[in-house]
Amino acid sequence: MSLRVTSQMTARNTLRDLQGNLSSLADLQRKMSSGKQISRPSDDPYGASRAMELRTEIGGLQQYQKNVDDGTAWLDASDTALGKIGDAVQRIRELLVRGGTDSSGQQARDAAADEIDQLIETIKQEANVQYAGRYVFAGTATDRAPYALLGADTYNGNRGTITREIGPGVEIQVNTDISGLLGNGDGAGDNLLLDTLRDISADLRAGDGDRLRGTDIVRLDANFDRLNAMRADVGARTNRMAIADARLASLEENSVSLLSSVEDADTPKTLIEYTTQQAAYNMALKAGANVVQNSLMDFLR
Amino acid sequence: MPISSFMGLQTSLRGLIAHQQAINTTGHNISNANTAGYSRQEAVLTAMHALTLPANSGVTGFGAQLGTGVDVTQIRRIRDTFLDVQFRTANMKLGDAAARSNSLEQVELSFGEPSENGVNELLRQFWDAWSNVANAPEPAPARTAVVEAGNSLASALQAIYSQLTTVAAQAQSEYDKLTGPNGNVELWAKELAQLNDTIAHAVTVGQAPNDLLDRRDLLIDRLSELAQVSVTEDATGAVRVDFGGVTLVDPAAAGGYTWPQTLTRPGGKLGALQDLASPTGPALSFRARLDAVVADLVTRVNAIHSGPTGVDFFDPTGLTADTITVVATEATVVRGSDGNAGTNDVAMALAQLRGGSQDRAYAALVAEVGGVVKANLNEEANQQSLVDAIENRRQSVQGVSPDEEMMNLIRFQRGYQASARTMTTLDDMLDTLINRTGKVGL
Repeated sequence: MSLRVTSQMTARNTLRDLQGNLSSLADLQRKMSSGKQISRPSDDPYGASRAMELRTEIGGLQQYQKNVDDGTAWLDASDTALGKIGDAVQRIRELLVRGGTDSSGQQARDAAADEIDQLIETIKQEANVQYAGRYVFAGTATDRAPYALLGADTYNGNRGTITREIGPGVEIQVNTDISGLLGNGDGAGDNLLLDTLRDISADLRAGDGDRLRGTDIVRLDANFDRLNAMRADVGARTNRMAIADARLASLEENSVSLLSSVEDADTPKTLIEYTTQQAAYNMALKAGANVVQNSLMDFLR
Repeated sequence: MPISSFMGLQTSLRGLIAHQQAINTTGHNISNANTAGYSRQEAVLTAMHALTLPANSGVTGFGAQLGTGVDVTQIRRIRDTFLDVQFRTANMKLGDAAARSNSLEQVELSFGEPSENGVNELLRQFWDAWSNVANAPEPAPARTAVVEAGNSLASALQAIYSQLTTVAAQAQSEYDKLTGPNGNVELWAKELAQLNDTIAHAVTVGQAPNDLLDRRDLLIDRLSELAQVSVTEDATGAVRVDFGGVTLVDPAAAGGYTWPQTLTRPGGKLGALQDLASPTGPALSFRARLDAVVADLVTRVNAIHSGPTGVDFFDPTGLTADTITVVATEATVVRGSDGNAGTNDVAMALAQLRGGSQDRAYAALVAEVGGVVKANLNEEANQQSLVDAIENRRQSVQGVSPDEEMMNLIRFQRGYQASARTMTTLDDMLDTLINRTGKVGL
């Protein structure tokens, strides 16, 4: 059966083709104006779920970087404080060595003892350093100063750990247990820094040259080693943070470019498609105008 | 044997009348060129019974048959009923696919993904907020932020839930509207029953009620979008219409139709709407999947949050997307397992839920919605082009072609003119015979 072409057929076909063209145009226009390949999950179900996963991943990476920044600041505060404690210990060692020689008189030893007492307060003050309103050396009791100034040398914090999440399931401790270095002072007899310093100060006042030259300096050096080990540990953790930061940034960059390749429209391609589609639409309009216009009636008298 | 002198006049008259009717039919076609469901009509011209001339009237000695002109034996409509059957089958599938994709697109829109305000993004912000609490457990703002993030997440989930519920409810109400009293099904069934009646009367007296038949076919076409129809015509020309497994229009039934009835095999739009409204339909089953995501989220968050002191973050009884509620406040948000200000292990563990099973299940759900919608849109496009192709075929057979009608107009006009000329010629002959014969010498 050969196809009879009737007026309703022509009209229907023309209309359908125009609508088809127009809806493709609208689609491309939306892609161009939004810059997105996927504006609804049905545009590309796999791509849409991939994009959602990537967004979650990027969100995580950005948050980890914030955590790293926060942790680094915490460690930096700790390191600065430990550095100042180190300076104080260094000065105390000088005073101890000078005061240990029997040629120095008792007056000089008393003066040295006074200065050491002041430096002990400096050390305690540094141990009370705060970051964003929190005592960094107080364990998890961040709202309590670890040491009371001008008071007893007892440690008021706890030995809890504070960690930051720097990757999926990767945690890193940011606080440092200062009580392992400073101890609980004279009464505790723990041979830690404060105990040692109090003894040194007492020995200076007592003029006990043998102890000053002997056990005191040995104990001070042992504490100084502990301090250095602690600073090395803090430095190592700061390093880990820096490495993690760089890695997270590059991971984020990767994920962002992956996300863009999944959901962003390819601009040149879309533009060319749009131009092509527009040409097709114009052609369909022209054809419609011509086809529907003429009939036998135009040629009859 | 002589024949009547006036016979030729009668023959010409028949030609005139027949061509006039043919032109009228052409005019009817042209007038209805754009009428929905119209099938073109054709005046069937047939030669009249011949006048038998007796034997010995010709040279051969045998008789002869002398034609007596033309008659319009019927005005028939040109239509291919097989295409009607094909059209209705395809149209039912199109009705199904169109109703489905219409609802499913709403389902897709209710998820609102991918966007900056979708649940995916709000989940991300929720986990970010927990990370921030872990970074700063002491100050209140971080805890306020986590409660706020939880509230936004809960209300986004509630919005999706209520929209999915609305989609199902809309499908139900559309179904009720179509099938209810004075709904389309009833109105069309009633009109079909009336048409059946009128058509049967016309057929009994031997007429072909073409335009009524067109109207009836159009109504059946429309019914075919809603459910499967099958049509049986009886001897009187009335039809019985089976609709979705039950007999809707039956000339034998009281009133000619039976409605409302429960469809036993609904297909088409009604079938799709029934499915969309049912608890196992796409909208409500996606809603159930969303509930599962919510239950997972609530359980996992609470399990960690309530660890140290038994304080829940979400209401533990709100395990569906419409009932999820944050019960923790700034003061009761738990960030650590002991009372120390800086302990952040609980907040940290909660932040580590990021990207966990609930996040993945939600992304998978959205992807599945997208997949179903895409498949349905494809199905609808396929059925649409099938229906278009069949409708084209139908229009090719039954549609009015203006060119063709113009040709016919010229053809019948010429025929009419020629018949008139014949009549004039006969008139001249009679003039010769009556007025100028037998006047020898006058």
